[in-house]
Amino acid sequence: MTPLMEARALTRILPTDPPVTLVHNVDLDIIPGRFHAVIGPSGCGKSSLLYLLGLLDRPTSGSVSFRGDDMSDLDGDQRALLRLEQFGFVFQFHFLLPEFTALENVLIPIRRLGQLRGSEMADQALAMLDELGLAGQSGKTPDRMSGGERQRVAIARALANNPSIVLGDEPTGNLDSENSAHVIEIFQQIAHDQGRAVVCVTHDLTVAAAADTRIHMLDGAIERVD
Amino acid sequence: MFARASLILGIAVKHLAKRKRQTAVAIAGVSIGVGFFLAVSAMMIGSQNDFIERLISSAPHIIISDEIRSPRPQPAVRALAGSVVEIHGYKTRNEVRGIKDWQEIVQAANAIPGSIVAPSLSGAVTLRVGGREEPLGIIGVDPSVEEKIENVQDNMSAGSFHELETTEGGVIVTEELAQRLGVRLGDTVGATSRAGTRSLKIVGLFARGRGQFGNSGYVLLREAQSLTGQPFIINRIGVSIPDPYAAETVAADLESRFGYKAQSWQERSADFMTLLLTRNVIMYSVISAMLLVASFGIYTAVSNSVVDKRRDIAILRSIGFSQSDLQRVFVVEGLILALIGVVAGWAIGTLLMQILGSLKFPILGRVEHLPLDRSARQFIIAGASSLGAAAIAAWLPARKAARVDPVDILRGAA
Repeated sequence: MTPLMEARALTRILPTDPPVTLVHNVDLDIIPGRFHAVIGPSGCGKSSLLYLLGLLDRPTSGSVSFRGDDMSDLDGDQRALLRLEQFGFVFQFHFLLPEFTALENVLIPIRRLGQLRGSEMADQALAMLDELGLAGQSGKTPDRMSGGERQRVAIARALANNPSIVLGDEPTGNLDSENSAHVIEIFQQIAHDQGRAVVCVTHDLTVAAAADTRIHMLDGAIERVD
Repeated sequence: MFARASLILGIAVKHLAKRKRQTAVAIAGVSIGVGFFLAVSAMMIGSQNDFIERLISSAPHIIISDEIRSPRPQPAVRALAGSVVEIHGYKTRNEVRGIKDWQEIVQAANAIPGSIVAPSLSGAVTLRVGGREEPLGIIGVDPSVEEKIENVQDNMSAGSFHELETTEGGVIVTEELAQRLGVRLGDTVGATSRAGTRSLKIVGLFARGRGQFGNSGYVLLREAQSLTGQPFIINRIGVSIPDPYAAETVAADLESRFGYKAQSWQERSADFMTLLLTRNVIMYSVISAMLLVASFGIYTAVSNSVVDKRRDIAILRSIGFSQSDLQRVFVVEGLILALIGVVAGWAIGTLLMQILGSLKFPILGRVEHLPLDRSARQFIIAGASSLGAAAIAAWLPARKAARVDPVDILRGAA
């Protein structure tokens, strides 16, 4: 299948003294409909690779292309727009905006994109929450929700604009085993049922076992893919 | 576009609502600054307007006198115009004082739509009562015309300006002069001039403290011509025009056409006008400093908000907010603070003006109130400058927010 994203000779070096290599000469294809897990020891460059793939960071050398287009020449605003339309992020900590309710958090990317009418926006956000079993939680603020509920709201927010790719940075790292299993199940559905690409950076062996593709990293480079 | 604007506004409002104390302090700073700006400027501009109003209404807008600013050119110079001619040591004929062909000037001034022209004659006499003598500058006028260009009656404490028309030898003098001479309304005084001595009857008194009348007294025009021995002579033409602020231009035009010195009220009060200008510069400097200090509160509030919300900034960047979106969030925070502060400041300013306006000051037996300028102009200046200062104060930390590297924050939070 044609890759959704391709990384070629991707390298990221922090310009410190001495320079620190975070990602070194990575070649990687991200396939739609597949659940990819990036695994490896702490500090091996998993999150740095994720930020490069998610266009939050720029490589020192090498390239990232999305649907065949090289992303190197995009300016900050173009990269932001692409993230808004095509990318969804889920982090270890839920990272919801604390002053906003669950519904308002999910509405943030939808309203920022601004392609729907007012009532349609709310309908889409509620449908997303409903899909993740949070229909009754829409009016709650994050401080009144459990860890698992917060993470599911964060997933709903990541899916709000129907992205092509969902990027998770240790999305189960702060959850108990039950909630963790639930999140893994959701990611599998996102990949297999909805045909999106999922890339998860994880230490969790359960997540790695559930993935279709496991990318093993060591010292910033890909050790093997299985 | 509307969805994005309302989202940015919503985020800004939530940020401010979360930090109630800092928000309240920043708003209080702006509102107090705006309130005192309005109170101080109302007093300063009000007193300035009152002063100018008095200048405009207490005397003709333009006074044409029988003086010339520079000697008339000699016939030889006129005949050899453009050549290098210098004439010195010549003797000129003594000219009779008074404005020649004054009817022409009156006609020209009358041609200005809405203008009122009042020819008069001024001179000097000495008033005598018993053993007391006082010099008096007399102004001979036609009361029915003069009252239209000069606020005489309102400055009188006794008698009537029109008494001059009905009383033979009537004169109006200041209360101070009457007191020095020991006379009252209705008394008769002797008046001596180069034309002789005759009796004048006091038909009116100017109230105390009306400095503009000084040692002047008003008589009927023909009375002045008779007293000074200058029949049919006019040496002063007062002109009132519909737009007092055009007086300088009109005066310059009349002077260039007829040669006689035409002084606008602005020229006559140049020293005062310079003083007012200096006063305004000082006032606006002080008040601008007040508003600037108020904007520091907004800078602090927005700066703290940026520091507190670094994680949210990174999240919003990862969601797809651009740098300019985030900059707008924090600038809008500053503008919301300023807007609420301005509205509250307008209320405080209005209240302060009410208090100032109610104060009573007894001056020379009369109760005076502070002249206050309550025009919308001052409210707009205070509001616009506060919003401008707030926008700059918020923009500086907002720029920092936009430059936050989300990767640094996300990596640190993980």
